[in-house]
Amino acid sequence: MTTTACFIVVSKNDIPIYEAEVGSTVRQKQEQAHQHQFILHAALDLVQDLAWTTSAMFLRSVDRFNDLTVSVYVTAGHTRLMLLHDSRNEDGIKNFFQEVHELYVKTLLNPLYLIGSRITSAHFDTRVRALARKFL
Amino acid sequence: MEDYPEELRTPPVSLVCLTGCPELHHPISAFLHSEQPPINTLALPDFSKASVLARKKNRDPLSQPTPAPPSGILKRDWLLKHRTRVPAVVAALFRADQISGDPAQWLQACTDLENLKSLIHGRSTRLVVVLVQTQAAEELSEDVMAALRKRAEIDSKHLVEFVQNDASDLRQSLNKLASLFAELCLTYYKEEGRRIRSIIEKKSSPFPELNIRYCFKIAIYAEFRRDWSEALKFYEEAYRVLREMANTSTRLPPIQRLVEIKTIAEQIHFKISTLLLHGGKIMEAVARFLKHIKTYKRLVGLPEVDFLHWEWFSRQFLVFAELLETTAASAPSSQSPQFGTSESPFSEWEFQPAYYYQLAANYLREKRCCLEQSSVSKTDLPTKITEAPDSVMPSTHIGQSARLVEEGDIVTVLPLSDAEYVAYALAEAERFQDCYEIIALYKRAQESFSSHGSQRMACLCTLGMAREYYASDDFTNSKQLFDTVAAMYRREGWAPLLWEVLGYLRDCAKRLGLTNEYTAYSLEMAALPVFSTGFEETIDFGPAGPATLSRREEIQREALNFAVETDGDPEPVGLDVDPVSPLRSVLLVAVAFHEQSVKPDSVASLTVSLLSHLPLLFKVDLLEVEFNQPACNFSMSIPLEVSPNKWLRLTHEVKSGQSGKLECLTVKAKINNNLIICCRAESPALMEDLTSWKYENQRETYPTLDPALSLSGQKSIQVDEPNPLVDLTLNSIGPALVGEVFQIPVLVVSTGHVIHGGELKINLVDARGGGMLMSPRETDESDAHHVELLSISGLPEEKEDDLNTDLSEETKSDNIRKIQYSFGVVSVPVLKEGESWCCNLEIRWHRPKLVMVYVSLGYNPGDVDQRVNVHRSLQIEGKVPFFTNHRFMMPFRREPLLISNIRSLISPLEEKKVSLALKENNIVIVSAKNCTDVPLNLVSMKIVPEGGTNSNEKLFLVQEISGISNKCTRFVPGEEFRGVFSITPLVAKSSLSLGVVCVEWTRDSKNQDQPETVTTKHSLPQVCVEEPPLVAAIECPPFAIVGDPFSLYIKVKNNTNLLQEIKYSLGDSQNFVFCGAHVHTASILPGKELVLSYKFVPFSAGVQQLPRITITSVRYSAQLTPSIAAGTIFVYPAEPKFSLEKNGSELVV
Repeated sequence: MTTTACFIVVSKNDIPIYEAEVGSTVRQKQEQAHQHQFILHAALDLVQDLAWTTSAMFLRSVDRFNDLTVSVYVTAGHTRLMLLHDSRNEDGIKNFFQEVHELYVKTLLNPLYLIGSRITSAHFDTRVRALARKFL
Repeated sequence: MEDYPEELRTPPVSLVCLTGCPELHHPISAFLHSEQPPINTLALPDFSKASVLARKKNRDPLSQPTPAPPSGILKRDWLLKHRTRVPAVVAALFRADQISGDPAQWLQACTDLENLKSLIHGRSTRLVVVLVQTQAAEELSEDVMAALRKRAEIDSKHLVEFVQNDASDLRQSLNKLASLFAELCLTYYKEEGRRIRSIIEKKSSPFPELNIRYCFKIAIYAEFRRDWSEALKFYEEAYRVLREMANTSTRLPPIQRLVEIKTIAEQIHFKISTLLLHGGKIMEAVARFLKHIKTYKRLVGLPEVDFLHWEWFSRQFLVFAELLETTAASAPSSQSPQFGTSESPFSEWEFQPAYYYQLAANYLREKRCCLEQSSVSKTDLPTKITEAPDSVMPSTHIGQSARLVEEGDIVTVLPLSDAEYVAYALAEAERFQDCYEIIALYKRAQESFSSHGSQRMACLCTLGMAREYYASDDFTNSKQLFDTVAAMYRREGWAPLLWEVLGYLRDCAKRLGLTNEYTAYSLEMAALPVFSTGFEETIDFGPAGPATLSRREEIQREALNFAVETDGDPEPVGLDVDPVSPLRSVLLVAVAFHEQSVKPDSVASLTVSLLSHLPLLFKVDLLEVEFNQPACNFSMSIPLEVSPNKWLRLTHEVKSGQSGKLECLTVKAKINNNLIICCRAESPALMEDLTSWKYENQRETYPTLDPALSLSGQKSIQVDEPNPLVDLTLNSIGPALVGEVFQIPVLVVSTGHVIHGGELKINLVDARGGGMLMSPRETDESDAHHVELLSISGLPEEKEDDLNTDLSEETKSDNIRKIQYSFGVVSVPVLKEGESWCCNLEIRWHRPKLVMVYVSLGYNPGDVDQRVNVHRSLQIEGKVPFFTNHRFMMPFRREPLLISNIRSLISPLEEKKVSLALKENNIVIVSAKNCTDVPLNLVSMKIVPEGGTNSNEKLFLVQEISGISNKCTRFVPGEEFRGVFSITPLVAKSSLSLGVVCVEWTRDSKNQDQPETVTTKHSLPQVCVEEPPLVAAIECPPFAIVGDPFSLYIKVKNNTNLLQEIKYSLGDSQNFVFCGAHVHTASILPGKELVLSYKFVPFSAGVQQLPRITITSVRYSAQLTPSIAAGTIFVYPAEPKFSLEKNGSELVV
C-alpha cells in the first residue's frame, strides 16, 4: 500500500520547527508533494478554532484535501504536531502522535534547547522516522 | 450549474392540456400556475391543434418481440417532452350553448371528442370535459349531459360545469377545476410510475441501459408527484446500476462510453444532491458527494483524454459548491456539526462552498496540465490522430455526440470513432481559456474564506490565483498577489513556503524589468533560513529552484552582479531597509554610542555594527554614516568584508560642537558600485530580533564588543551645553517673617561669557511638595496665596516699585517682565565679561510656609547660537514674628454678678463666651512674645474696632492703661511684651466684636535707615455684654500696721428695680480681730447701695490673709467669694518710713 505522509511540528508562534516527509513510497507527482506544507499551513486556521473547543490533545482529522487528511495533536504548550496522510489508521496515528509528543518533551528538557527554536537534533529526526514506519 | 438544461435544474411540474374556448385559457392557466403545487398548462386554441399530442411511432424496445440493444441511456428530449408536450390531463372546453343548440354543432363537438380520444389512446392521459356556462340560469338538461358523458366515455365527475357569470362563481369553478386536475395528475403520474416499475419487476432487462432509464423515469414521475423519497430511492438505484455498467458495457467505443456514463452520473448525482440539500440533509449530501468523488476519481480513462476526466471532475465540485451556496442562502446555518466526533466525520470546511470552489479550481488546473500534455503529444505525432471532423453535434442521447453528414438534401447522422471524438474534444477544449475560470474559482473561494476569518486558507487560494496569473504571463497581477501571500508566510515564518513565493516574485520582477524589486527579492531569498533537508531535489519549487544553501549562494551572486551585467545603466540600485523591512536579514545595522552624554567639542566614540545573513561573504566598498547634525557625517572607503551571520564591528569617533541630541540616522553601504543599501540605524538596546532567524541554531553574537553595551547601547547621544561662565548668587538674611516684604538679592556676574538675551526666571515652589502654593480652587481669591512674588526691585531702569503683583504685560518691547504669584521672568541686559547686574526679589508670606525659590538664568554666550542655563535654588522659611495672646480681667476687688457666668456653670456644654459687665471697666491684657531669632522693635500696639475708629455708634470705650512708653521698644527673641487696655461697653449686646489688636513692628536692623513698619493683627474674640444685677466691691487700705485698726467696707450695689436680699458671712482669722456681724442677711432697695462696714486690727506682720468673705445673692443663688489675691493685705510691723528725697522718685500706691 502506498502511503504519503508529511509530518510537521509547529511552535506556538506558528513557525514550523520540524518537518519531515515520512511517506513510504516515491511520489508520483512532484508538485503535489510540495503542496503538503501549503496544505498544512492552511489547516492551521481550523486548528486554532478547534483547539479550544475540546480538552483532548488529539484532534483527529481536521481537514481533508482530496485523499489526504490532516490530523493534529496539540500539546499543552500549544505546540501543534500535524500529520498529512492518506491512511485511515486512526489508532496508529494517535500512537504516533503520543510517541512523538514524548520525544518532543524530551527535547524540551534539554537545557540547551531554546523553546520555540528549530529542532535540529538528528536523534529526534531518526526516532520520528522510525515511529512513522512503525505506526503509519 | 448554469450549463444544465432548465428542465434538469428545476423540479418537474405537472402538465395539463386545455383545448377549445381559447378566451378562457389565460385565466385558467394563470390560476393553475399560482396553485400550490403549480400546474403548467398546454393551451390549444382549437381542437384542430390537438395533433401535437399525437405519439411518435417508436415503441418501447422491450415491448418488441426481439429486443434490440438501446443506442443510449437517456434520451436528450425525454424530460422536456414530459414537461411540455405530454399532458397528464386533457380538458376539452365546450360552451353550453354549443352543445344544447344546433345539431350540427353537437355533431362537431362529438367529432372533436372522438379525435381527442384517438390521440390519447394508449396512454393513461385523462380526458375531462368542461361545460362553460356564461350564466347560471342556462341549465343543461340531464339528457344532454348523459349523452356527452357517453360520447366522451368519462365518469360523471370528469364532466365539469364551469360557470363564469360573476367573480365568486368563477373562482369557485376555477377551484373545482384545479382540484380535479391535481387529483387526475397525481393519478396519471402514479400510474405511469407503476407501469414502468412493473416492467422492471416483470423481466430483468438484459440491458442495464434500460434499467437505468426506467429507474430515472420512475424517479422523475415521483418528482412530478412530489414524492421525494421515492425519487431519491430510484435515482440512487439508477446511479448504482450506472456505476456497475461502467466496467461491462461495450456498446460504444471506450472513450465515448466513459463520457456518456460520466455525463449521466453527473446528472443523476445532481438530482440526488439537489433533493438531499433541499430536504435539509446537508450531512448526507456531503457524504454522498464525497462518495461520488471517490467512486469516479480513478475512472480517468485513456491518457490522451484525461483532461476530459479532470474537467468533468472539476465540474462536480463546482456544481456542488453552487448547490451548497444556493441552499445555504435559503437555509443558513441549518447545520452546526460537532466536528471531530465519530458521528460527524466532516471538517468545518466541508460544509462551505469555498472549499469546493477551491478544489474545483485545483482540478481545473489539473485538466489544463493534462490538456497541455495532450496538445504537445498531438503536435509531436501529427499523423496519429485524425483531424477534427467539421460538424459534430450532440446526438439524441445524453452524453453522446454524432457527426452530421450532408449529402445533397439528405442529412445523415453518423456515429463518431474514438479518434475523431478525441480530436474533436481537443479542438473544443483548446478554444477555452481555462486560466480565467481557475482564477475566478480561486477568487470566490478566497473571498469566502477571508470572510470566515480563515486567513491562511484564503492565502492558499490567493497563491493559486497568483500562480495562474503567472502561468498566463500576467506578471503585474501575479506579482501583486504573490506579494500578499509572501507577507503572510513572512509573518508566520514558514521559510520554505516563502522561498517558493519569493522565487515567483523574483521572476515576475525580472520579467517586468523592475531592477530594484528583483534585487530586493533575490537578496531576501538568499538571506532566508532554508537549509538542505535532503529531498529538495525531488520537489518542484517553481522558478525559485531547490531550497538549498548552494542555491542561496547562487542567487546572492546573481543579485550582486546583476547590475554589473546591465552596466549601460549608470544608476546604482538603491534599497531602503527600515526596521520593518524583510531585508533586515540582508543587512542589519546597529549603532551604539559608548557614552550617554558628551561635552561639546569633545570626542564621542561609537560602534557601527553590520550583520548579514547572506550565505556568502561580500565586500562593502563605501560606508556612509549620516547623523542629524550633518557636520558629524563620515564615510569609510576602505573595503570591508561582511561575513555571514557574524557582526562586523567598526568603532569611530565623532565630535559635535552643537549641544542637543546627536542621533545616527542612516548607514549607507555601497556594494560592487552598483548596489546601495541604505539602512536605518538601530539602537542595540531597542533592536528587535529578526523573526526568521531568531529560532535558528546559530551562535549568538553581540553587536558590540562589550555585551553590556549591546543591551543598553543607543544610537543617539546627548551633547551637553557648554559650561556657563557666569556667577549667579542668591542671598538671603535669615528667615522671612510673615507679613513683611522679604527681599532676596540676586547677583549676576559674568566671569567669561558675554551675556546676550539673558532671561532670569524665578519660580516659587512649596518645599514640602505639592508644587503649587495654593490649591487650584482657591486661585480666584487673592487671600489664598500663602506666598507671593510681589515684584522685582533694584533694576537699573526701574524707578518705581509700585508694580502690581499680577502685572503680566511687558513694559518694554525688548524687556520681558512677567510676574505672577509664584512665577516671574525678567530680562537681563547685555553684560560684558566682568560686569555684574543685580536685582531684589520681593516676596511676601501670608502664612508660615517653607518655600523653595528657583532662579535660572538662560543666555546666549555670544558667538555660538545656543542657550546656556544656570540654575540656583534657595530654601526659605516664612515664620510668624509674634505669638500673641490676650486675657480679660475685672478691676481689683470689684466683682459684678454676671448671669451668664452662673448659667455656664449650670450647663457647661453651652458655648463659652467671655462676658463683660456693662458700663464697668473691663481689663484686657494683650501679650506678644517674640518667637523669631532676631530682635524686633515694637512701634505701637492698639485695639482698633472692626468697623474702624470713626464708626458712628460707639459701642464701647477703649483706654490704654499701660503700653509702649517710648517710640520703639526693642525686644529680643523670647521676650514678652504686655499691653493693658480698659474696655467699657456702652451697650448690652449678646455678641459684641471688640475689633483687632494691631501690633506694629520693624526689624531691628542697623543697616537700614528707614525700616519698613509691618502691622501684625490679632483679632479679639466676640464677647457678651450684660448688665450685672449686683456689683460687689471691697474697699480696703493698701496696707495695715500691727495693732493699728483699719476699716474695710463691703459695698453691694443693686442695679435692678427689685428688692435684693443678700446673705453675707465673714470667717474667723487668728491674725485679725474685727468687729461686725459674722453672719447676717440684708435687703437692698432698688438702685441703692448697701455698705457693710468692719473694723480690723491686725496681730502679726507680713502678708496676711483677711478673714474669708462670702456674699450670697438669694434671688440668683449666686455666691461671691473674693479671690485669694483680693483677700490679702500686707501688714507692716510699724509705720514705714520712706526716704523720698534720696531716691528722687515718687512712690505710687
